[in-house]
Amino acid sequence: MTMFLKSRHFALACAVAGSLVFPVAASAATLNVMQTEAPRSMDPGDQTATYTAALLDPMYEGLVKRDPDLSLKPALATEWSADASGLVWTFKLRPGVKFHDGTAFDADAVVKNFARHLDTKRGLAASGRLRTFLEGVTAVDPTTVQFKLKTQYPAFLALLTTGPCLMVSPTADAAGTVGSKAVGTGPYKLQEYKSGEYVIQAKNTDWWGGAPKGEDLIKWTWTAEPSVMNMALQTGDADVINPFPAAFAAQVKANPEMKLSTTDGSAVFWVSLNTKLKPLDDVRVRQALNYATDRDGIVKAFMNGYATPANSPLAPVTPGYDKTLNPYPYNVEKAKQLLKEAGYPDGFAMSTIVQEQESRIGELLQAMWAKAGVKLDVRKMEGGVWSKAAFQDPAGKEKDNIGSSIASWSSGVNGADLQFRPLYYTKSASPAGANLGFFSDAKLDELIDKAASTLDEKARNAIYVDAQRQVNEQAPHVLLYTKQDLFATRASVKGAWVIPGGLIVVKDAKK
Amino acid sequence: MKAYILKKLLALPLILIGVSLLVFVAIRALPGDPARLMAGPEATQEAVDNMTVRLGLDRSLPAQYASFAYGAVRGDLGTSIKSKLPVVDEIAERLPFTIGLAITAYLIAIGIGVPAGMIAAIYRHGWPDQIVMILAIAGASIANFWLALMAMNTFSVQLGWLPLLGAASWKSFILPSITLAVLPTAVIARMTRSSMIEVMSQDYIRTAYAKGVLPRNIYWSHALRNALLPIITIVGLNFGSLMGGAVVTESVFNWPGIGRFLVDAVRYRDYPVIQGVTLVAVTGVVIINFLAEMLIAFLNPKIRFD
Repeated sequence: MTMFLKSRHFALACAVAGSLVFPVAASAATLNVMQTEAPRSMDPGDQTATYTAALLDPMYEGLVKRDPDLSLKPALATEWSADASGLVWTFKLRPGVKFHDGTAFDADAVVKNFARHLDTKRGLAASGRLRTFLEGVTAVDPTTVQFKLKTQYPAFLALLTTGPCLMVSPTADAAGTVGSKAVGTGPYKLQEYKSGEYVIQAKNTDWWGGAPKGEDLIKWTWTAEPSVMNMALQTGDADVINPFPAAFAAQVKANPEMKLSTTDGSAVFWVSLNTKLKPLDDVRVRQALNYATDRDGIVKAFMNGYATPANSPLAPVTPGYDKTLNPYPYNVEKAKQLLKEAGYPDGFAMSTIVQEQESRIGELLQAMWAKAGVKLDVRKMEGGVWSKAAFQDPAGKEKDNIGSSIASWSSGVNGADLQFRPLYYTKSASPAGANLGFFSDAKLDELIDKAASTLDEKARNAIYVDAQRQVNEQAPHVLLYTKQDLFATRASVKGAWVIPGGLIVVKDAKK
Repeated sequence: MKAYILKKLLALPLILIGVSLLVFVAIRALPGDPARLMAGPEATQEAVDNMTVRLGLDRSLPAQYASFAYGAVRGDLGTSIKSKLPVVDEIAERLPFTIGLAITAYLIAIGIGVPAGMIAAIYRHGWPDQIVMILAIAGASIANFWLALMAMNTFSVQLGWLPLLGAASWKSFILPSITLAVLPTAVIARMTRSSMIEVMSQDYIRTAYAKGVLPRNIYWSHALRNALLPIITIVGLNFGSLMGGAVVTESVFNWPGIGRFLVDAVRYRDYPVIQGVTLVAVTGVVIINFLAEMLIAFLNPKIRFD
């Protein structure tokens, strides 16, 4: 007995002592950034989450980078050119660049970086998109690489700024440590990663671009609780909050010590209708649901006004967006009439699956559609359950009677193909892709393919206008709204900006 | 007694095997696919399939359990799907924070709950009793989550007295541990009250009064000592629910303990982490219950273990 008591006292003493010894983290030269979720990986090629990409951004670079005006600029490549076919691209690499672990950045490193994504056995989370169009990468000489594409691909350069194309140290990758210890070439390097608590990045004094402009340290923390984010900004525990919850926007605007930034976002929210399920296989029914949706009402009620009602499958910031479209004004009578024509004068019942955070949209639609006689059963689901249900094949969805799914998609500024192809292309029908309603339209498939291989921007955008019209007419989705990207900072913070879609860039920020 | 302890110690591995099996099956019965979650919504089916193989989720369930159990016996709980770090290291880093929080919460709960319950018992049906009981009912019914947010807003945002988040200094302990202590304080106060009332009606207390023993001595030496047994039992049994409270409290306060770790792991279906944390938490609960039983035996020699 005595022995037990003694050991308990000892354990108690150890626990209390252990809990009181903590590392010192915050200081005046630290920029504190808080986001909604913990990083999913320290390897930019092994994850696809926007907020993780934001955290990794100060540490990694690609051959090409995006400037605050959203134009593409040289980064680890100094210049590039394509051959006449548009299939072979040659890049000149910046000389003298080193990874944070001392490994040289050269053509060999670039080849290894892309090879790991083309290797199907690696199973890295972000490889999929690259494999659809990239044939291979070869080293011409130590400072020159050549990319061979399978088809012409207009979004190629833009994609070089995204996760799978950011350069990780081949040494760290070979050692298998890059998933937990970031090693890139960026202006900041990883100082400390406490997976339950924070990530601290320190200035990379050897950076090829000279002295980094931002604070000495950047400390990232995270919480899923919106009111905690708001409080953290008020107390100064966080200098930057991304994304900032719309519910607290008015409070921040009224406080001179804080600053709210809103920019047009790229995520389009929609209800994907199961076109394999009756009566949603009838285009008139799908159109009726579009007419029965009060988009302005949803924007006001759910987004506190920080969104734009959607008139197109593309967001306004996406190249090719057509602002003249306005196919479905709110019109309950028109909806009823269409349902009558389709043989449902008394309406019908259907279901939708939605994740917790967007469940209010489901409730609003339930009330709106009821006016047209449509009885909507809203099934709220936790994220993991939702993604399993949403990505089922037609048979699975029929079995579970899933009539629709509420979600969003963001192609960012990387091209309309990244919005059209996963969401509306026949071959992207789930589970293969995010065409959750199994929409299939030969004309639209043709337009998507044609646009994807049209290098001339004007001609390509004209095709996308046709594609937007086709989607609107066939109504595989009830388009809801495009979210604005909201982030908030303490008033003194300068130099933080957001790439449409929510990726916050803080490497140049000062407080 | 020795035989009893030995028997209990021998049962521990069996309990752990049972629990690990239960947790293993329960996690896999959860809808949601870690490979799909890790690969992200934009991933192709091919990428999801590759991820499934990489995570070893293509193997049969018995094979997966066997490798988990074999690893666990050797102190290896696998590698976190998300952070790519060994689960044992991840837990070891966070466990002191959770234990520290739980102990502080219990010290507060016992320090306030026992005297409050005693006062309520001594002034039974009087106003001190009513105040204590109203507070105890309120404490037992308030949602931890709401209380945490209110406390943060008042003491960190409005008054600026205490740190809002994280575990940067001893001051960081105050709000989370008080929030976590509210429920056990209420339970202990109620238990102490009823236990004291029962003891105070015993003959030997009446005898003590008759002999002229000071009421103060009767309360502390005679009544409380005998009333302690059910209190210790309830403290031991409530350790599990305290752990449950820690999950919520740690998440709200960004406390780097295993509770918050578990919440994140469930969100991403990080199977090795969920298994590891649950196994450690269950071991903790079993050990605490065991210690509580030992303590009861120590305090009450009348109890014999056969």
